[in-house]
Amino acid sequence: MFDLEKAIEQWRKSLRKNQALEDGYMEELESHLRDKIDHLMEQGLSDKKAFTEAVEKIGDRDHIGEEYYKADTRKLSRRPPWKKELLPVALIPNYFKTSFRKIKRQKIFSFINIAGLAVGLACCAVIILYVVNELTYDTFHKDTDRIFRINTFQVNQVGEFYMATSPGPLGPMLKSNFPQVEEATRVVPPFENPDNVLVVQKNKRFFETRVFFVDNSAFRIFHMPFLKGSPEQALTRPHTVVLTESTAEKYFNEEDPLGRILQIEIDYDIGIEQVELQSYEVTGVIKDAPMNTHFKYDMLLSMPTFLANRPDFETEWLNPHTKYNYIKLQPETDLSKFEDNLALASQMVTSQYKERLNRPIKVEFDMQPITRIHMSSQERREMEASGNWYYVYVYSMVAFLILLIGCMNFVNLSAALSATRTREVGLRKVIGARRKQLIGQFLGESSLITFVAFIFSMVLMNILLGPFNRMAGTELSIAGLTRPLVLIPLITLLVLVALGSGAYPALILTAFRPADVLQGRLAPKSRGTGVQKVLVVGQFAISIFLVICTLTVFKQLGFMRGQALGFDINQKLILRIKSNLNHLRRDYEAIKKDFISSTYVTGATVSSSVPGDHDEGGYYMTTREEDFSDSMRLKVNTVDYDFIKEYGIKIIEGRPFQKENKSDVNEAFVINRAGLQELGIATPKEAIGKRFQAHYHRKWKTIVGVTENFHYRGMQETVEPLLLDIETSLMDNLTLSVNTENMAALMKDIRSTWEAHFPSVPMVYSFLDENFDRVYRYESQMGRMLSITTTLGLIIACLGLFGLAYFVANYKRKEIGIRKVLGASHWNIVSMMSKRFAGLVLISVFVAGPLAWYAMTQWLQDFAYRVDLGWFVFAAAAVGALVIAMATVSIQGMRAASVDPATSIRNE
Amino acid sequence: MISKTLVAASTKPVILSILVHGEMYGYQIIQHVTELSGGTLEWSEGMLYPVLHRMEKDGLIQSQWLISDNGRKRKYYHLTKQGQEELEKDRKEWMKVHRLLNRLWSPLALPD
Repeated sequence: MFDLEKAIEQWRKSLRKNQALEDGYMEELESHLRDKIDHLMEQGLSDKKAFTEAVEKIGDRDHIGEEYYKADTRKLSRRPPWKKELLPVALIPNYFKTSFRKIKRQKIFSFINIAGLAVGLACCAVIILYVVNELTYDTFHKDTDRIFRINTFQVNQVGEFYMATSPGPLGPMLKSNFPQVEEATRVVPPFENPDNVLVVQKNKRFFETRVFFVDNSAFRIFHMPFLKGSPEQALTRPHTVVLTESTAEKYFNEEDPLGRILQIEIDYDIGIEQVELQSYEVTGVIKDAPMNTHFKYDMLLSMPTFLANRPDFETEWLNPHTKYNYIKLQPETDLSKFEDNLALASQMVTSQYKERLNRPIKVEFDMQPITRIHMSSQERREMEASGNWYYVYVYSMVAFLILLIGCMNFVNLSAALSATRTREVGLRKVIGARRKQLIGQFLGESSLITFVAFIFSMVLMNILLGPFNRMAGTELSIAGLTRPLVLIPLITLLVLVALGSGAYPALILTAFRPADVLQGRLAPKSRGTGVQKVLVVGQFAISIFLVICTLTVFKQLGFMRGQALGFDINQKLILRIKSNLNHLRRDYEAIKKDFISSTYVTGATVSSSVPGDHDEGGYYMTTREEDFSDSMRLKVNTVDYDFIKEYGIKIIEGRPFQKENKSDVNEAFVINRAGLQELGIATPKEAIGKRFQAHYHRKWKTIVGVTENFHYRGMQETVEPLLLDIETSLMDNLTLSVNTENMAALMKDIRSTWEAHFPSVPMVYSFLDENFDRVYRYESQMGRMLSITTTLGLIIACLGLFGLAYFVANYKRKEIGIRKVLGASHWNIVSMMSKRFAGLVLISVFVAGPLAWYAMTQWLQDFAYRVDLGWFVFAAAAVGALVIAMATVSIQGMRAASVDPATSIRNE
Repeated sequence: MISKTLVAASTKPVILSILVHGEMYGYQIIQHVTELSGGTLEWSEGMLYPVLHRMEKDGLIQSQWLISDNGRKRKYYHLTKQGQEELEKDRKEWMKVHRLLNRLWSPLALPD
């Protein structure tokens, strides 16, 4: 039997399916329906038929709903929300709210996450800045792709040499003979005194090092913007100088330097007894040389000045040393054709060697793009130390690893915390959130955390840049971040971090079935513990890897600075005599005596170079009177009687120079062990008494002693043959053995003695061990870099472990409470907690060990003399990591253990 | 039958014109329309209500719930002042169209 009321009730319920229909609307429709039915029944229809027809007449529910929706929402999209593709735009504020709440509520976890990511990001940002800086050297010149330097490749009896320099006439010859050459300039350092050019302006006296003679065309090749003066003729006349902005300020303060006079002392090596100060007129001021160029200058002197003193420079093809030739080619020059032209020049020079000197020396010139000089130069006589790909890679890798540890923290803690969030996810799902939306929400959360971390990382980066710049000798600044080359990788990195660290939690958190969650059927820890373990192992493996590398680098550095050097590097103060050298060379014994009279100076010696210097000086030696055609070249260090004693160099045969043997000045050589082979002598014993004539001073001298090899050039290189000779004409360094306990008094004594002997010459001093650090520049840079990053990495990893332990302690609160009630001691509980993690750390030791062993073996390959890796380094790293990890976990263990079981077990 | 678009366009003036005679509820409005049009203008009945809702939101009409004699709740609608003005405006517009069409369709409308 048809029940009208029931049918109407059914119909009304069906209306509810449309979300636009509100109660009032439905009531009105019902009222209408009833009126209609009454009306139809009056006309004689059965109730059932009347109902059916009335319903049909009223029309489709969804159409009505849609119309109501349109009436209710005016401007927005006319599409009702249930028909829309789910873009949760409206929910974004809500997501932000929940994310911020989450950050606020879980302070410890948020701190760990943000701190880890911030440190990682800061390291990466610094390294990106560094790498971009290294790789963009000399790219700021106009038409930088058309600028080249001509290098020389020379093969002679001694070997093959690549030089960054080339003969003086080469550039002008190329320019005048080949139309492809748009411009050419020579760049010539004052080669006899490159790092001690005395510059005087009234009472200001400084030694300058970045001084060069250049042709005026330099301004048309290099990007050197003029602030004052004219680039067309600034350096066309003799005795003119162009200063950089800061150099101009140094000498003239705020005054206009144009037209002013500077006194500059240049040694042209033309046999003048006393080099004189000469006047130069300032004709221009240019911007300071940027940091990212291999050619860094403070003062540019005019080439005509140099040529007036050294006219031979314009014609001497057979001296490729000390002069740099730069050319700029015409646009669209066929490089291979131009290289053929260069080959002609090479042949010409090669044949000149043969005809004029009767020497089989082969010369080849080749062009090096200016932008490639910094990273790929292997040449001798390079203007400054080249960049090093190896360390660019290593630093990038290390920064990336630190970031990875930070990301792992995030993933790990999010996964652990999933337990506390299952309800939220369940509810959201029940209310109708789709999985896609939830994943979006979690990714949004990780993006938010990444973003906050990024802001902190910028602060951190600003702090890190100072020490980094000091360490790497760079001048990176946070302003560099605005360069697109830096910005793009950094933003990519941020996106990757946000996605990478958000993806895993998003996936596991959203995979729950809401019914399980809300009924409490899901054990919170059952998800993702495997991945958690893997990540902890990963973090600690990275940390331990870094620890092993750091220890190895320091071990090698210690070895290279220590006993094995073969001479004493400590407590040695070096005075560089850069002016009034004749006084030193004539009166050194008296000068030494005056210095030793100080109670803080125990000894003194004079020499042409000190260990760590890159001195290329050498003698050609022969056994046949005045016949040097078959001579042997040996590096030489000219010394006084005290050198071997003061430096503690070991004599293995014969004797050192002796003051008692007055004839030693003119008749004795001492040679190192490596030199024996060079001279064709089999054993140290045989060497004693052998006589040689040196090309430099033409004296015949006898070998009186053989020293053990000492690493005067650092331990990356094998010890080269070295000759020690008493020859005063080359001496320019004074080494003092000092006692640095009272630095102030020591320096006071030294300064007063210095001023007595070298009045009005600035005193330039350094300590030998610091000097030597320059030889080990890259290694000690890497050591410091590694020790900082390793510490950071370990801290982040431990923070993560701390977070996990904190989580476990909370999660197992009741278990721990019950154990305590049953009589477990604090120690039992701490060890129960620690066991979980100790195993993981041990596994990471076994993962990291072999990797570190491989990496460090590779690294050590580059050293001629190296330490053994040794099991001790590995053991130390393993034990260290384990102790730190266990200490971290135990803090949580103790906390958990000291909770009153009454509070933890109570269930309310 | 009248086309859907024309029905839609004329709904508002029709409702206004009916309500000008006094308060009415939805079913009555439909009854009137059916009667007056001689069954040629047939509305999908449910669609009336969203239109009424819209017109109320626009301020042309106002409504109130009243309980009728047989105890049934009904929503009565009446014109507002704004509604009367709107009706006047609509009337003028429709008359313009009406006159134009009248002329166009009269045999004398256009000189050949």
